[in-house]
Amino acid sequence: MGPFIEVVLGGLLAGVLYSLVALGFVLIFKASGVFNFAQGAMVLFAALSLVRLMSGELSAVHYWGAAAVLGVAVGYVLLLFWRRARPAAAPGRGASWGLIGVFGLIGAALAALHGTAGWSGWVAIPATAAIMGLLAVAIERLVLRPLVNQEPIILFMATIGITFFIDGFGQTIWGSEIYTLDLGIPKDPMFLLESVFEGGILVNKLDIFAAAIAGVLVAVLAVFFQKTRIGRALRAVADDHQAAQSVGIPLNQIWIIVWTVAGFVALVAGIVWGSALGVQFSIALVALKALPVLILGGFTSVPGAIIGGLIIGMGEKLAEVYLGPVLGGGIENWFAYMLALIVLLFRPQGLFGERIIERI
Amino acid sequence: MQRTRPVGDVLLKVDDITLSFGGVQALSGVSFDIRKHEIRAIIGPNGAGKSSMLNVINGFYHPQQGQITFKGQTRKQMRPHEAAAQGIARTFQNIALFRGMSTLDNIMTGRLLKMRSNFLFQLAWTGPAEQEETRHREFVEHIIDFLEIQSIRKTPVGQLPYGLQKRVELGRALAAEPELLLLDEPMAGMNVEEKEDMCRFILDVNDEFGTTIALIEHDMGVVMDLSDRVVVLDYGRKIADGTPDHVRGEQKVIDAYLGVSH
Amino acid sequence: MAISPGTTATANAPLTEAGYRPAWADTFPKLLRFQAMARGERAASREKTYGIWQSWTWGQVAGNVHDLACGLHVMGLGRGDKIAIVGDNRPRLYWTMVAAQSLGAVPVPVYQDAVAEEMRFVLDHAEIRFAVAEDQEQVDKLLEIKPRCPLLEHIVYEDPRGLRHYDHAVLSSYDQVQQNGRDFAAGNPGFLEQEVDKGKGSDVAVMLYTSGTTGQSKGCMLSFDNLVITAENGARFDRLTADDEVLAYLPMAWVGDHIFSFAEAYVAGFCVACPESGATVLNDLRELGPTFFFAPPRIFENLLTTVMIRMEDAGALKRGMFHFFMRVARRSGSRIMDGQPVSLTDRLLYALGRYLVYEPLKNTLGFSRVRICYTAGEAIGPDMFEFYRSLGMNMKQLYGSTEASVFIAMQADGQVKRDTVGPPAPQVEIKLTEDGEVLFKSPGVFLEYYKNPQATAETKTADGWVRTGDAGYFDADGQLKIIDRAKDVGKLKDGSLFAPKYIENKLKFFPNIREAVAFGAGRDHVCAFINIDMTAVGDWAERRNIPYGSYQELAARPEVYDLIRGNIEEVNRDLAKDAHMSSSQVRRFLILPKELDADDGELTRTRKVRRRFIGERYETLVEALFSERDHIDMQMEVRYEDGRTGAIRGRVRIDQAKTFAPEGKPEAAAAAAAGGRKAA
Repeated sequence: MGPFIEVVLGGLLAGVLYSLVALGFVLIFKASGVFNFAQGAMVLFAALSLVRLMSGELSAVHYWGAAAVLGVAVGYVLLLFWRRARPAAAPGRGASWGLIGVFGLIGAALAALHGTAGWSGWVAIPATAAIMGLLAVAIERLVLRPLVNQEPIILFMATIGITFFIDGFGQTIWGSEIYTLDLGIPKDPMFLLESVFEGGILVNKLDIFAAAIAGVLVAVLAVFFQKTRIGRALRAVADDHQAAQSVGIPLNQIWIIVWTVAGFVALVAGIVWGSALGVQFSIALVALKALPVLILGGFTSVPGAIIGGLIIGMGEKLAEVYLGPVLGGGIENWFAYMLALIVLLFRPQGLFGERIIERI
Repeated sequence: MQRTRPVGDVLLKVDDITLSFGGVQALSGVSFDIRKHEIRAIIGPNGAGKSSMLNVINGFYHPQQGQITFKGQTRKQMRPHEAAAQGIARTFQNIALFRGMSTLDNIMTGRLLKMRSNFLFQLAWTGPAEQEETRHREFVEHIIDFLEIQSIRKTPVGQLPYGLQKRVELGRALAAEPELLLLDEPMAGMNVEEKEDMCRFILDVNDEFGTTIALIEHDMGVVMDLSDRVVVLDYGRKIADGTPDHVRGEQKVIDAYLGVSH
Repeated sequence: MAISPGTTATANAPLTEAGYRPAWADTFPKLLRFQAMARGERAASREKTYGIWQSWTWGQVAGNVHDLACGLHVMGLGRGDKIAIVGDNRPRLYWTMVAAQSLGAVPVPVYQDAVAEEMRFVLDHAEIRFAVAEDQEQVDKLLEIKPRCPLLEHIVYEDPRGLRHYDHAVLSSYDQVQQNGRDFAAGNPGFLEQEVDKGKGSDVAVMLYTSGTTGQSKGCMLSFDNLVITAENGARFDRLTADDEVLAYLPMAWVGDHIFSFAEAYVAGFCVACPESGATVLNDLRELGPTFFFAPPRIFENLLTTVMIRMEDAGALKRGMFHFFMRVARRSGSRIMDGQPVSLTDRLLYALGRYLVYEPLKNTLGFSRVRICYTAGEAIGPDMFEFYRSLGMNMKQLYGSTEASVFIAMQADGQVKRDTVGPPAPQVEIKLTEDGEVLFKSPGVFLEYYKNPQATAETKTADGWVRTGDAGYFDADGQLKIIDRAKDVGKLKDGSLFAPKYIENKLKFFPNIREAVAFGAGRDHVCAFINIDMTAVGDWAERRNIPYGSYQELAARPEVYDLIRGNIEEVNRDLAKDAHMSSSQVRRFLILPKELDADDGELTRTRKVRRRFIGERYETLVEALFSERDHIDMQMEVRYEDGRTGAIRGRVRIDQAKTFAPEGKPEAAAAAAAGGRKAA
């Protein structure tokens, strides 16, 4: 019994990692109907940014730039709060830009003072988040806005383009080797339930940490979607662009928010994946595992992404251990896709997806 | 009919609007105004540019030429969400509802612009955010009562029959407490009874809330009954403007509707 | 409200034998005073507005009624005046009845869906001076007929919406009337209490216009004694208490609603809730969960149809579970409720089913708290009756009429039969005439028909018996069984019995058949018109990809004819078993291309078919049915709801149905065992 539970638990924890990536896909798909092929690239990009900013091996320009981005983001958020709290007293357009610029300069200046030593995680993580936000703004401005009202397939093609760009761009500015990400998350294995089973159950602390992070993330996202004005606006945009605009929802801002949130999710996934596997190009490929997860869980369901990930993670491990000796090894590589194919045959909307009913 | 609020000053003025897509001229040099508290109809044969006109007013289309003055402010371009923030709400010819949401949620979405409480409070779902939600819900319940759609409050709108969907769409537009309400064929595809209901709602909205209404409609009887003034478009040009009786008598209008060649 | 207890009018006065009220509380205004004293803080009325249930305590209701009554007095309403009440079930409209009664005026509730002409008849005949209307729709109707009702002086409206620009010379708002009442009461303390004290049990309490299957309606006058004593008997029979809860959703002008949602509530002190609107009843029912529920069979039918359709759409597991446990329930549900022996396995399965299926289902239907539920007005289908009872709902039948203040016969808990209506109700005597007509005598027997001595004399015999016009007999258990209207029971050419309603009801028990009209009096055999049920048959057709665009098209589909023929043949097989009825098997039938409609006069407002009228209106179709033709071309005018008329034309198919050889032996005609039977 012990080994079986160990396999299941290990599978579930691996599944959490898949879920994290799948979540990013679901967010963007829900809000804009776009299947964002670049989600995997974003995970890699976020992980690379983080690990390199912490490394202390980059040129000064890198640090100045990252710090400037962080400064701009902080300035922007502060301005937002100012506007909402006291709309009358808030500065005008020009002054706002100026203010944001000043924040950027302050950031760069602080970075210059700090020198080229690696940053601590407390600075590097917000900086990476800010970079993901900037990336979202750039994607909205340069790709989505010109393609507004186009067919989903065109937007999908555009995200493939974005994928290649981010992959190349990330490796150009951050480097393309294998880096070790160490945020101080404990990685050593531990034994559970030793009193119940002989030898207990072996789990990795990192996996438990990842599961906890995923849980918190899902809870926050759920509240965000269900309870906030922005969440309601997101659902509206997902349903009908025109109608959403007509009730006063600014489409562009919503897209920026969605891509930023997807970027944050990518960052979280990047941290966890990077800690587990090291930051390397293969992260972008492992992200493809999110596809079967989505097919299983449904493209529009946040809980679906989580449960889909868990099922696939667990299924893979069980298949590898129990079917492997019969069918030969390597089941882990194709099992998820096989499962997705079966789901497609019987339940094309996924386990949790909205049933597509067309009424005439 | 008696009016609680008499027709007032000009609320919206479109001036020399010209709009073309590629080589196709949708609107050329159209000017007219809409006065406060009036019901203004825009009519014309198919392809006359009526819907384009509404799309220009609420910012979906940006005209190549001409300007729009709303509440005394002149602008050349405005984006739809900005128009909404200024007090322009609308419905669509081919119903644009949030199909996955219930009637209540759809109409609540119409209140988004009125919601002010801090994002963090909303996230925590306490204090001001909760009070605000309750306040808006109350307002929305009045709309639900007004439109007599209590029985479908919790029904996902995708499951509703067409006539009710139109009503929910009107409700969502009303939730924004608009100053100008644009209705794109509010009665298209309805049966006689549904049309009568919708007419009554439009008149009641105009009367109870004093909302200025611009509507596109094909049913001539409805237009003549409802509207204070009518503007007639044909091939993207204005061919007549005035009271229903006046417009009906215009030779150009008769020609346009009978399809006399140009 | 300032309650000035009279000498005997105290809450502590000894209660009557039934144990509900002190003897001094013999009118509704006095009962209200009693309830306000006895349970002033408990909820009396509820109404859902703006999505929230609002409630009023007995004390608040008394206050509201007081103000309104004073306001109406200021407007000139006085003793003997008639006041019309027009609208859906609203607490304020119920209060208006008591307010009018406080002043000695007589409320006349009018069916809210009556067309203007029907309303004019009632207002004119009842010499109405005052009308209280729910909203613009009803006010419009009243204003339309006002020129032809010269006596009508004042219209009070409850909901001001859309009425701002109306001429307020005749209109006043409910709120304004109440305000006037408060102002008046300030200067005349104790006025209303004196007025209320003047009322006595023998006064006319209400006039209810019966819809009547033939001719103009009659104003049935009921006294406070009629209603209060009958309600008290009914409440005691079912052990109603102040903890019960009722949803008032049936027309206020109907005696059933008057007893169950008004009189019994004032006697027993329970709370009556009003739905948000006519369309939300099912929802409100679910939210409220009444404990006492009353409905004609068609409401139960609609509920069952929705359940069945939803089940067809459900997943295989859910559907399988539903059907399995419904089989269990059918086998043992009623037996368990009636305390009959059931095997242990079935008991266990039933307990499991209760948890998995029955309780959730009852909850969705809004019946999870129902303690007692009655069906009446029409015969209920065997399947349906079994369905609800097997879920563990205490569904019973009763037989009543306006002239009896409802109760004539009713079933007691545990003694329920599907095809009877129970033994005589408390204090009711029943006797049967030679022709099988049911006569009764009770404390609820009406005073008279207003301004119609002839009709009164026809209905009420010199020695106090009331003719029901229904034919029936007592079965071996002493339960009354109603077969048809006495005058409708005819003979076929061969002299055998022809009870059209009996046949029609059997047909209507099939969910596919909404209405049926059987013809056969004086003919060789029986033929029938069928109205299919658009929901059930439409759904059936969609599942089979049978295209149709309208009722007319669906009704003409050969597949639908086959479906209906199957149902008819099943009825024939059943009829063949009954010696009295075996010659009444339906030989030929057609499906009407139009739904029978009350607006066309084909149905009464309570949806009973007007057989004679239909026979005349569709004369050509009837003749074709009895000829050898296999189709008939028809054309006819129809009236739409907005008053416009249109034409329906088309070819109507006539189809044959198989008949069966008589099997059973003649039963001993229990109807012959006529004679008075007195309830214990």
